[in-house]
Amino acid sequence: MNVVEAVDLRRTYKTTTGTIRRRSLEVEAVRGISFAIAEGELFGLLGPNGAGKTTTIKMLITLLIPTSGEARVLGHDVVEDARWVRERIGYVFGGDRGLYERLSAMDNLRYFAELYGVEPKGQRARIDELLELVGLKGREKERVEGYSRGMRQRLHIARGLLHDPPVVFLDEPTIGVDPVGARELRATIASLTASGKTVLLTTHYMFEADALCDRIAVIANGEIVAQGTPQELKAGVADGSVVEVEVFGVEERSVERLRQLAGVRAVTVEDQEQKQLLIVQTAPGLELTHAILSQLDGASVGRVSSREPTLEDAYVALVTAA
Amino acid sequence: MSNTAPESRVPRGARGNAGTRFRRAGRTAGQGRAALRVFFVGGRISYRALFNWISPVMYVTTMLGSPLFQILFFTYLGRYAGSRSDDFFIVGNAVQVSAMAGIYGMVMGIANERQFGTLTPLLATPANRLAVFAGRALPNIVNGLVVSSFGFAASWLLLDFSPDAASLPALAFVVVVTVVSCTALGMLIGSIGLRARDVFFAANLVYFLMLLFCGVNVDVDSLPGWMEAIGRSVPLTHGIEAARRVVEGATLGDVRGLIVTEALIGIAYAVAAYVLFRFFEAESRRRASLETF
Repeated sequence: MNVVEAVDLRRTYKTTTGTIRRRSLEVEAVRGISFAIAEGELFGLLGPNGAGKTTTIKMLITLLIPTSGEARVLGHDVVEDARWVRERIGYVFGGDRGLYERLSAMDNLRYFAELYGVEPKGQRARIDELLELVGLKGREKERVEGYSRGMRQRLHIARGLLHDPPVVFLDEPTIGVDPVGARELRATIASLTASGKTVLLTTHYMFEADALCDRIAVIANGEIVAQGTPQELKAGVADGSVVEVEVFGVEERSVERLRQLAGVRAVTVEDQEQKQLLIVQTAPGLELTHAILSQLDGASVGRVSSREPTLEDAYVALVTAA
Repeated sequence: MSNTAPESRVPRGARGNAGTRFRRAGRTAGQGRAALRVFFVGGRISYRALFNWISPVMYVTTMLGSPLFQILFFTYLGRYAGSRSDDFFIVGNAVQVSAMAGIYGMVMGIANERQFGTLTPLLATPANRLAVFAGRALPNIVNGLVVSSFGFAASWLLLDFSPDAASLPALAFVVVVTVVSCTALGMLIGSIGLRARDVFFAANLVYFLMLLFCGVNVDVDSLPGWMEAIGRSVPLTHGIEAARRVVEGATLGDVRGLIVTEALIGIAYAVAAYVLFRFFEAESRRRASLETF
């Protein structure tokens, strides 16, 4: 049974520019996406900033009305049966905001327990159980304003689970959290499906999606550009290879020339302090290292290496091509 | 002899309907209980979460100190001008200072949700919106009564304000109605704060305009027609008039018309505030305006 279904979902925003001569613009944030999530599945919506992930999740959790298309959660329309859906879903979003700073974690949870209609008799036990789950036991009486980002994020998760929802939407839950904290959060997320919940996770961290998700949909410019298991997505680029070049002071026009090179599928530039790392994905059977280096005129070249493509490369290739 | 159990002789459709009715009634009762808890418990917690002046130092200086000096200022000014009795200024200002809680408290209680980024998780819950919204008012009404009572008590101590003891219950009743009505105005401004960026500017403006329009220090009758019309259409004006007459010896029956008018104005503002709140919630779903101003 499909627990979450999106059918040709679209969302357009109207925005204005200018102060005196105001001009109305229409921005298509989500352009007809469709996917289905089965019961107990952890489904990842992966894409760069501005790809339409949060807009999609907001439509599914009833906070935004789709411009067209349909979305159902547990068989109920998210527009028609908004309240019914809200009672059965948990929503967790990333970032510092969204918590009552002056209240303790305990009071934040007590307040939302009331809003979700958690029975008063069972509230305390449920809150204790969740504090234990997210590792905030012992710190629950401290004000949230003194919490680290990781602690806040764990509190977000506890809040989203208060009413024991069968479906949980996690919108970039590890964003800005340090590596140790993020690892702990991922363990908590993994435990959700182990307890039978259906989870939709949005992230732009490839390894996170790879480690957690049963299936992934890659979204770019408001459209799903690929969908499948992490293995299936990797297979899409497994026939090529990746050349990594350390450079100092590479110019944008050189990168652009690389993109035009025959056999090059995608080029990304990662800034690493004083140097940049060029990651060039190439078609199979081609030895392009010399051709790549010849395009980098004026830049100092450091280490050059070649490797097998990863899931991240698959993601980059998909997003770049979109 | 039939061994059929009596309940199985109930026609199937009727049994089903009765069961459905019971289930529906049970669900409604459960939802009602949950809404009451959101109103009382949720209202109290949200007040602690959103009211900026909750620390003792802030509370004493802002909610007690500032109103006290307002009462002293206008009463001494009135004495200097020799226009009206001390009681006129004391009653007017001691009732009006409840707006510190009613206006500012409500604006914080509603508009801060947006400022703090908690509006999204709040609206993602299935909680009864009327209970969420109205629950914000209760602590501010109590706070308004505390502020107003403090104003009267301080006037008794410092300004020889000494109404007849027999008039105090009636005065208290008038003040309660006026504070509730004033809080409804705060709800309306708070709702506007869900869309407007600088709503505290509006709150400041309304608070000080009340001093002029609502007969706090100047008789409403002596204002120009348009100002009087505005004054008579907002909370506080009729309540202050009723409070003054009660202090002068009138009974509740004598000022019934004023109290009912004050209450009706309050209800109208509360309804308008709730309608606006729901409108902005619906708009945010349609226009994605939840986090944009």
